[in-house]
Amino acid sequence: MPDHPHTTSDAEIIRRVIDGDVNSFEYLLKKYQNHVLRIVTKHIPYNEVEEVAQEVFVRAYQALPGFKKQGSFKQWLSAIAVRACYDFWRKRYRSRELPMSDLNEKHREWLENTLSNQSDLSFNKGSHTEEARELLDWAMDKLSARDRMVIELVYLEGLSAKEAAGLLGWSVANVKVRSFRSRKKLKKLLTGVIPT
Amino acid sequence: MKPLHHKYEALKKILRKAYFEKEHVEIGEQWQVNTMRRIRGLGPITSGPNFLVFFERFVWRLTPATCLLIIVGAIIFLKLGFFPDYDVLTLFINDTEELSLAQLF
Repeated sequence: MPDHPHTTSDAEIIRRVIDGDVNSFEYLLKKYQNHVLRIVTKHIPYNEVEEVAQEVFVRAYQALPGFKKQGSFKQWLSAIAVRACYDFWRKRYRSRELPMSDLNEKHREWLENTLSNQSDLSFNKGSHTEEARELLDWAMDKLSARDRMVIELVYLEGLSAKEAAGLLGWSVANVKVRSFRSRKKLKKLLTGVIPT
Repeated sequence: MKPLHHKYEALKKILRKAYFEKEHVEIGEQWQVNTMRRIRGLGPITSGPNFLVFFERFVWRLTPATCLLIIVGAIIFLKLGFFPDYDVLTLFINDTEELSLAQLF
């Protein structure tokens, strides 16, 4: 890793990279790799995380001349990471490589038990995380790439429409409309599973 | 039996927990090496042809030399006694063809 004192700002490193010092980018890579991994891990299957995270840094490197120094580099990189995840799913859906998992009796049974009065208690014991994750993956597989990203950012992560719009590069109105529609789709999907 | 709305709220809570409880992926040093190799393979980045950058870097730097050249040129012309207005007037007066054209009007 190139020798950079701790006081060296991101702006200074970015200037060096733009001036042709490619090795200085390693400083940014090491500084922000965990941040990028945290974002990518939430949206992408485990076996694809490394590749997508690498793609994020390559995109960031190529787009570096367009980085506006007034904003935070971390925030800028977060938007690139979220868009890389969105592109990953778009590509997956287009090439139909997505394995369509189905719910089995185990999942239905788990849902029935979870929605009973003891739901919080049983989940906190940590014995049913896997079933919840599988149910979530199943529901997400049924949605489009756009719906998936909006559900994850707004519904699950709890970001505001403005924050999600900033990350996805969409308008706030678009995020609001998409969020409303995708939530309805998710509800419809789960209605078919939840025993009434 | 719980109302349906409460069921969805409970389910949302559980799904959120599951979403955030994904294991953190640990990546080794090899990943960093591979990423940097890929980035080095792209070569140094350029911001593309930008007229303003070109102007700032090259043209603007020539300004002092240009000013100096103008001042030296003006001094030389004054010393040589070159007066363009006088020369043009002389040419106009001596050009008989032009004069005859002028007489037609």
